[in-house]
Amino acid sequence: MLFVELIVKGLVYGCMYAMMAVGLTLVYGLLRILHIAHAGVFALGAYMTVTVANATGSLALGFLVATVVSSIAGIAIYRLAYQPILHHAAFVPMVVSIGLFIVMQEGFRLIFGAYGIAFDNNPWYVANISLGGINLTYVEVAMVIMSVVLLVGFGLFASMTRAGIGWRATVTDPQMATSFGVDPVRVRYVNFLFGSALAGIAGGLVGLLNNYVEPTMGGAVSYKALAIVVLGGLGSVRGTLIASLVLGVVEAFGAIYLADIFDRDAIGFLFLIVVLMVRPQGLLGRK
Amino acid sequence: MSAYVASLVSVVGINLILALGLNIITGFCGQVSLGHAAFYGLGAYTAAYLAKLGAPLPLTLLAGAAMAGVIGIVVGLTSLRVRHDFLAVTTMGIGFVFLGFVRKQKWLGGELGISGIPGPGLDPVPYALLIVVFAIAVTIFSFWIKRSWMGFTFDAVADDEDAARTVGVNVSTYKLTAFGIGTALAGLAGGLYIYFARIILPDTFDFVQSIAILTMVVIGGTGSVWGVFASTIVLTLLPEVSRAAADYRLLIFGAMLMLVMRFSPGGLAGLVKRKPA
Amino acid sequence: MSTPMAPLARIEDLHISFGGVAAANGVSFTVEHGEFLAVIGPNGAGKTTALRMVAGILRPDSGRVFFEDRDVTGLPVSARARLGLGFTHQIVRPFYNFTIIENVMLAAGHGQTVSPWRALTSRSRDAAREKAQAILERIGLAAQASQSPRALPLGQRKRLEVARAIALDPKLLLLDEPLAGLSSAEATTMADLIRTLPGQGITVVLVEHNLGEVLRIADRLVVLDAGKVLAEGVPGDVMARTDVRQAYTGVV
Repeated sequence: MLFVELIVKGLVYGCMYAMMAVGLTLVYGLLRILHIAHAGVFALGAYMTVTVANATGSLALGFLVATVVSSIAGIAIYRLAYQPILHHAAFVPMVVSIGLFIVMQEGFRLIFGAYGIAFDNNPWYVANISLGGINLTYVEVAMVIMSVVLLVGFGLFASMTRAGIGWRATVTDPQMATSFGVDPVRVRYVNFLFGSALAGIAGGLVGLLNNYVEPTMGGAVSYKALAIVVLGGLGSVRGTLIASLVLGVVEAFGAIYLADIFDRDAIGFLFLIVVLMVRPQGLLGRK
Repeated sequence: MSAYVASLVSVVGINLILALGLNIITGFCGQVSLGHAAFYGLGAYTAAYLAKLGAPLPLTLLAGAAMAGVIGIVVGLTSLRVRHDFLAVTTMGIGFVFLGFVRKQKWLGGELGISGIPGPGLDPVPYALLIVVFAIAVTIFSFWIKRSWMGFTFDAVADDEDAARTVGVNVSTYKLTAFGIGTALAGLAGGLYIYFARIILPDTFDFVQSIAILTMVVIGGTGSVWGVFASTIVLTLLPEVSRAAADYRLLIFGAMLMLVMRFSPGGLAGLVKRKPA
Repeated sequence: MSTPMAPLARIEDLHISFGGVAAANGVSFTVEHGEFLAVIGPNGAGKTTALRMVAGILRPDSGRVFFEDRDVTGLPVSARARLGLGFTHQIVRPFYNFTIIENVMLAAGHGQTVSPWRALTSRSRDAAREKAQAILERIGLAAQASQSPRALPLGQRKRLEVARAIALDPKLLLLDEPLAGLSSAEATTMADLIRTLPGQGITVVLVEHNLGEVLRIADRLVVLDAGKVLAEGVPGDVMARTDVRQAYTGVV
């Protein structure tokens, strides 16, 4: 029973990681940038959710605002921070991203305080349901449902709409796509919009999950998301999804069995390093 | 020199050794490393553990540097395997694995770290001067490398690895050398740190610390010894100049990192002159 | 010299596949001391692949490469370069952050770069600079010595590539399409330049599409088709063969 429970919990966390990691993969696949500031967007979403929900009493409104603000923030980051320096070596935008993340994190600390904010009214935090003997909180269930819906939605968008197909073409072969009339800048905006919205929503969900929003919350999740992007290989969305779920499960087991040796956050990276030693291109990357 | 100034000087000296070491890995040889603090920590923990067992100062420093250097070479082996962009995340991962390990090990103090580290056998002022001597030696060593054929070869490896191979450069050996030297220096800094702080906590060696060191390298001008030297001193002393600035220290670091890379990727050195070969 | 020497290099039965497609299907030939050998063949024949296996950039699935009677099949590119087996890329790869002369100096100083310890303890670049200067003069790039490769047109970048390779004191130089992308005047100049190399003690093997120049300057040809050696011999004989002409044009 423990075995199954660990798998289920692992998958739940995997869904959370997937929501973060997909945004990162989208950016990496398109621009070859490690968008570390994505963690800041995640935390921004969380802060928006909690402040609006506490102010208005409506969680739904909180999430709505979070989605909108995060999307705008993501696009702004692309436009102001990355676009002007794309011609430099990849090191440069990555360092800009790190700097931006630190600024955002510190900004949250200075504006909202270092000790975090809790939801005034969080019925989902304690309520849980039992599925086949395993307890899952409402938030955990919501997380799974949300991520599945959003990711399936994006999958449909990418395969069935003109904009989506244009996006896929640009990721695979930018020059070919441009010659077919796809506007690369618009594709990038869509990229950042969707990825950042996902991150913002994920932030809100994690805030609900822990009933707590604090300035450094972006860190842990997004570092793992980075590891997942690398693990999944080369900007492949499918690889990222699989890697997210795998990491969630590995972490769940590792946290129990390696509890005396490593703490939880290290396990994901340990797994990454071991995998890269065996397969330098990642789990699903092509050499 | 007052005790306050001595402690400032000590911190500056330690940061110089850290930044110059990272400069060799990232600036000279072009290998991104976002986990440099882990080697700082390795050196510190090794030295602290031995110091509490009664080992004398020269031995603890040597052991700290050696441990960090050896593990650094092992980590360097990962750099040989993975793609350039993955190296950043891998080295970040090394940092988290180190931290995650150390936090859980009771014999290393767990979350509380190691306390009660004996003194260096010197008063604060002479000890600060000892650190300065080391820092100057490391600076001179950095210049030596840069002006030697090793610096020339590092430049080539950083520029185009495959082309370097066709001119007979064993790229792997050079990368490992860069990692080994840079991380050993971080270990040395760690060893020097323990006698200064007398207590070490795991959180001192976290990702934020790695970024702080990277900031000193980047703002000075990755690869430029003078640039890194100057920026390290400025960035270390900045919070001291204004007490009010201390709370904003990290914010300022982040902002500088962002703005400098956005507008002058060559750092301060890039503004002053072009990088000569 | 009347005593027959062993071949400088022996390429034996190289096989390699990419994604199930055989790019080399048993390539074998020899390279004699002091000759100017051209490997030619239609598109997709596997010429560049074969050359890269000899250089060490690609590892064959099976087969061996011998250089001076020594099996170098497992050796990496840098080790082969040190043994005297040099290579120039088709898409030139200068060190863009170095000047022209620095590009050549790094190669000229190969004695100092052999190991990190040696490199750390060597400071003087004078000898390498002199040697590089001399090579640049022979190649005709002396005037551009302090410039960046970015400032040079393709023809000169290709000459830089050759200059850098020569600075390694190679015994055998493998050139991957040295004339590609050059105008016909530039190609002739380049061809004349590399033609002088055997006279300087450097055996040359090149892969090339530009048949006009190749037939003019090569001592011997090896024709590849579909990953195998189709014919070899002096240009006159080889190009007269119907199977060779058919491979190129698809028509007898």
